[in-house]
Amino acid sequence: MIFRAVFTKKNYLRYISHLDMVRLFHRTFNMAMIPIKYSEGFNPHPKFSIGNPLSLGVESEEEYMDIEMNKEMDIDEFIERMNKALPEDIQILRAASLEKAPAVSSMIEWSFYELKFMTESEIDLNELSRILQLWLEKDQILMKKMKKKGKGKIEVDVDIKPLIGNLVVKEKDEDGFIVLNSLLKSGEHGNLKPINFLETMERDLFIGIDLESIMLKRLGQYAQENSQIYKPL
Amino acid sequence: MINKIKLDKILKKVEKPARYIGMEKNSIKKNLSEVSVKFAFSFPDVYEVGMSHLGMHILYNLINNEENYVCERVFSPWIDMEEEMRKEGLPLFTLENKEEVRNFDLIGFTLQYEMSYTNILNILDLSNIPFYSKDRDDSYPLIIAGGPCAYNPEPIADFIDLFVIGEGEEVTLELLKLYEENKKENWDKNLFLRKAANIEGIYIPAFYDVLYNEDKTIKEMFPIVEGAPSVINKRIVKNLDEMYTPDKMIVPFIDTVHDRITMELFRGCTHGCRFCQAGMVYRPIREKSPDRLMEIAENLLDSTGYETISLSSLSSCDYTSLELLTKQLIEKYEDRKVGVSLPSLRLDSFSIDVLKEIERVRKSGLTFAPEAGSQRLRDVINKGVSEDDLVKAISYAFKEGWSRIKLYFMIGLPTETDEDVMGIKHLSYLVKDLFFNRPPQERKGNFKLTASASCFVPKPFTPLQWYGQDTIEEFMRKIYLVKNSIKDNKVSFNYHDADLSYLEAIFARGDRRLSKLLVKAWEKGCKYDGWSDLFKFDTWMAAIEETDIDPYFYANRTRKEDEIFPWDFINPGVNKSYLLKEYRRAIEGERTPDCRKGCRACGIQNCEMWGVFN
Ligand code: SF4
Repeated sequence: MIFRAVFTKKNYLRYISHLDMVRLFHRTFNMAMIPIKYSEGFNPHPKFSIGNPLSLGVESEEEYMDIEMNKEMDIDEFIERMNKALPEDIQILRAASLEKAPAVSSMIEWSFYELKFMTESEIDLNELSRILQLWLEKDQILMKKMKKKGKGKIEVDVDIKPLIGNLVVKEKDEDGFIVLNSLLKSGEHGNLKPINFLETMERDLFIGIDLESIMLKRLGQYAQENSQIYKPL
Repeated sequence: MINKIKLDKILKKVEKPARYIGMEKNSIKKNLSEVSVKFAFSFPDVYEVGMSHLGMHILYNLINNEENYVCERVFSPWIDMEEEMRKEGLPLFTLENKEEVRNFDLIGFTLQYEMSYTNILNILDLSNIPFYSKDRDDSYPLIIAGGPCAYNPEPIADFIDLFVIGEGEEVTLELLKLYEENKKENWDKNLFLRKAANIEGIYIPAFYDVLYNEDKTIKEMFPIVEGAPSVINKRIVKNLDEMYTPDKMIVPFIDTVHDRITMELFRGCTHGCRFCQAGMVYRPIREKSPDRLMEIAENLLDSTGYETISLSSLSSCDYTSLELLTKQLIEKYEDRKVGVSLPSLRLDSFSIDVLKEIERVRKSGLTFAPEAGSQRLRDVINKGVSEDDLVKAISYAFKEGWSRIKLYFMIGLPTETDEDVMGIKHLSYLVKDLFFNRPPQERKGNFKLTASASCFVPKPFTPLQWYGQDTIEEFMRKIYLVKNSIKDNKVSFNYHDADLSYLEAIFARGDRRLSKLLVKAWEKGCKYDGWSDLFKFDTWMAAIEETDIDPYFYANRTRKEDEIFPWDFINPGVNKSYLLKEYRRAIEGERTPDCRKGCRACGIQNCEMWGVFN
């Protein structure tokens, strides 16, 4: 039996690496006494997987995890016990027991992000919207990417236009950050990292983005069927 | 609070940013404006090292347990972080509230090894705090220090306002209480220090002056402030069961040196190894009861989710109820998959029986520390292990399925000859033969032996405190003697840096005149000296030259028996005449038996063991 859980990763905990997250959950299952399945062998480890791991330094409102359970357990109790053992910036939002389901990592197709940055000089939000709109209307949006070739690496251009779902200018926040929202292709079947997306935007449009100031947050993740997107839980 | 936007910018650039964020399970964040005393605990090394230190967890919880006090942590930022912080002008901050270290009432450094002293200066500098106590007015935090190296506080006496000598569990709260009372009135650092000087175990370096002889040795050290005691007695906790012991410990997000629970079995040691400072200064032996330990284990397992418990002490097999305790732990936590680990074991079959119990499935490597290669030299250092013991224990271990052995040795011990040094090879080959002389069908696993040699550093408050360290050249000659003679792919020999041990020896037995050397070395870029890849020996030598320090005087000179040492004003319980007696016996190669078998009158008052064993 599989438990699928949705959890957050907020504030400073964005600086915890994926590997450390795995160790954190491992200990948390112990502490919360969750009847999780263990692998066989000399060094048994608990069977769970975090789908579509975040890059270091990116916050998230919605991360997914599949857990193989040894025994049935009440969902509310599961959430309560886990959240008590987890730090406050990593909390389970909801969970469900699934009899049979494809792994969440294979389901995710899109991530919805909040992209924040400072600019070198003042910029008018309407003007920015207009520039971005024109950019998105181009036939192709080319991104430089390093690709392995033989022993070395070469730079190639890839068209990222099909990897962009949408892009909206939201606001300028109280700290002076410009805030955008964007749906980008994400997961095992094609992935556009938001940082590379912003770098490409800056290279094409000279907005004056201070690349060191960029702050990223994942707001949601989606699966897709035909032209409909939906949350895996 | 420091500038959060700048911090985020930096954290995205540095390696392992989780070192700097705090927020771990069981970390404690209080509202700083609602407490009366703010204490910043500083371990002058990188996060992963500091977090593996049991003392930090104890003090952290002890202080935070008091509603009105707060303890927050600060470690040395790693090189990349420091660079970014300096570039952005970001001052050093505590992990919990991200508050500037400068804004705390007290900063407490733990002194675990001499080679962390430049990191202390670096931490002060990153916090915008002047190095020398005399340059800090009342607006600065009080800089205090404690830990094993505080038994010779003198090399850093000019930087530290107040030292805590001995065990900190009780005296820390007494000190903070006094601080709280004094802060309520008009804060006057000098007045506070005068009062603090009356607390047992507290040493205020500014209240003393030192006169020197022409040969640079100490003529006299004396108090210059009324009421400052001329002898500082170490603090000791009488009853470990009743002592404050935390029921939780912080669980780091990132891998640390020890990813496990550490439980202290007892303090003190009776073997009387003559090179060992801990064995002398932590006397007398005091045990925790197995019941109390089972209780602590339960609390810690429940609150951390860890799966390994490490039982720590100076010599675990001496714990009276070791077998009972390990059995109980393993049985109770069998289905929680909890493992027990036992460092510092002795060479005997009893230890191996206990190990057998804990390592039922997988046999990790076995580590033994004969310390010296020949029996004669082991007698000199009073390491009560014979070749017979080793043969018996290791044969038994091979029979039980172990196959990887590590042996630890020291080079540069008093009266050492080349023959003694070659004993390292002799013992290593002996162990190898023990394995391969077994019938092939009874050999289990892949044999591998690692012999590891460190360069002996004479330490204060040991019987060998009079002894001059070998020169670097002599160390290297001896090391190569062994290295070149070992030609066997099953036996590997490695050794520690002689350069580093040389500097360690300078500071271990150093005095107040070394503060200028530390500052000079720091100015020239020395930090993280304990990390062999960051240790800059040539820079240190240049600093020594520029400050006119005679390294031979500190490291290599064998002291006269009646010399006054910089640390003589501290009373660790064991007295100097006993140490001298032991020194003479060392030179004569005479063993002194374990004092459980008969009190040797080392000077400890009201020794627990008097009633029990004698
Ligand atoms: S007083 Fe005697 S029994 Fe106690 S530690 Fe010293 S030598 Fe050992």
